[in-house]
Amino acid sequence: MTHVVTESCIRCKYTDCVDVCPVDCFREGPNMLVIDPDECIDCAVCIPECPVNAIYAEEDTPPDQIAFIKINAELAQAPGWKSITKRKPALEDAEEWKDKPGKLSELIR
Amino acid sequence: MEPQLNQEVLKTAAAHDGPIETDAVIVGAGPVGLFQVFELGLLEIKAHVIDSLAYPGGQCVELYPDKPIYDIPAVPVCTGQELTDNLLKQIEPFGATFHFGQEVTTVLRQDDGRFFVETSKGTKFLTKTIFIAAGVGAFQPRTLKVDGLEKFEGKQVFYRVKNPADFAGKNLVIVGGGDSALDWTLNFVAEGPHKAESVILIHRRDGFKAAPASVAKMRELCDAYEMQFIVGQVTGYEEKDGKLTGAKVTGSDGVTRVVPLDMLLVFFGLSPKLGPIAEWGLDIERKQLKVDTEKFATSVPGIFAVGDINTYPGKKKLILSGFHECALAAFAAAPFIFPDKKIHLQYTTTSPKLHKVLGVESPVFD
Repeated sequence: MTHVVTESCIRCKYTDCVDVCPVDCFREGPNMLVIDPDECIDCAVCIPECPVNAIYAEEDTPPDQIAFIKINAELAQAPGWKSITKRKPALEDAEEWKDKPGKLSELIR
Repeated sequence: MEPQLNQEVLKTAAAHDGPIETDAVIVGAGPVGLFQVFELGLLEIKAHVIDSLAYPGGQCVELYPDKPIYDIPAVPVCTGQELTDNLLKQIEPFGATFHFGQEVTTVLRQDDGRFFVETSKGTKFLTKTIFIAAGVGAFQPRTLKVDGLEKFEGKQVFYRVKNPADFAGKNLVIVGGGDSALDWTLNFVAEGPHKAESVILIHRRDGFKAAPASVAKMRELCDAYEMQFIVGQVTGYEEKDGKLTGAKVTGSDGVTRVVPLDMLLVFFGLSPKLGPIAEWGLDIERKQLKVDTEKFATSVPGIFAVGDINTYPGKKKLILSGFHECALAAFAAAPFIFPDKKIHLQYTTTSPKLHKVLGVESPVFD
């Protein structure tokens, strides 16, 4: 089991979650964060931190977001995706994108 | 640094030809495992405690030793380390034996109803009961994720230093930015019996999570050409005739260079893994052990689970819940150990019997 960052994060990348993670399991890509499933210990502390409710426990992942379980696992190991442990400003147009559905096509891997 | 085995434990182990025979084995020396010692102790049940870390405290000490905890009843605030220290003091009267730096690998039910328990260091037990207080699992070194590198593990790739002499006179590449990486770097650069032929430290950025004095010392050594520090990540390796010959290091400039080496030492910190618990035949749900809320018994009679490792309807992963679970699990375990004894609930305030086991004077009221 792990926790999963879902679609809401894409093009927003608020990084409130990374400050609270006790095991530094977030990985950062160009416009999204993911959780490394090998590192996550399911403490769930990150869930309420996310301003766009992007994070779910794996088995609570909404049906239309299931693809992100695999996406998190893959991108966590992808070259260029690096560990992020300190909060930083969200993407510039985060506000504009935060409530938009169907952002998967916007994901830069 | 490599955990040091307590001399007392070595002596105990040496004195036993066969397995250590005991009433209770506690798996995990986090706050809940420690309090389990206390609750068993009040019922006059002696315990052996096993933990993969080299010290007690579990997550509290490994993940947040200095972070304040505010929700321990009657303790308005304390750190993870303070909580652990206080629990150790509280359980002192019960003389539990600790087996650190090893994880339980085997649990087998015997014909006589007891369990055979073995650890990764070969410590063996025959116990009437087991209390799994393993939290999120055993802390293990994080590995360097480069495909194929695992075949050199234990030969040329190491995640811990068991015997520093193995690295003397070798060309070492050390990866990591924490205290372990820095301490071992300084150790192998220093004059002495373990001095390496050469030491190259690699970290993904030019900033460290280590003691500032160690970092300063490392930079001094670099300036004196005693060693080298490279900013980069290990992204591949080179081999020849089945031997690892070099690490491919991608620098911050995006260029990948080959760094020749004899031995690769990786210190990426520790990460908890459930490990072999999943293979002990216990009912598991979402990586947690299913228990009932009367006895905190697992699906195998005689094996109990307390703290973050267990799950039941309404479970909340709080230290205080774990403490409550310890008390009920201890009472539930008593019939396995003293089948003919009637167990009474007694209070530490008033019970002369409990005062005796606690080693305190019974107060006299005139």
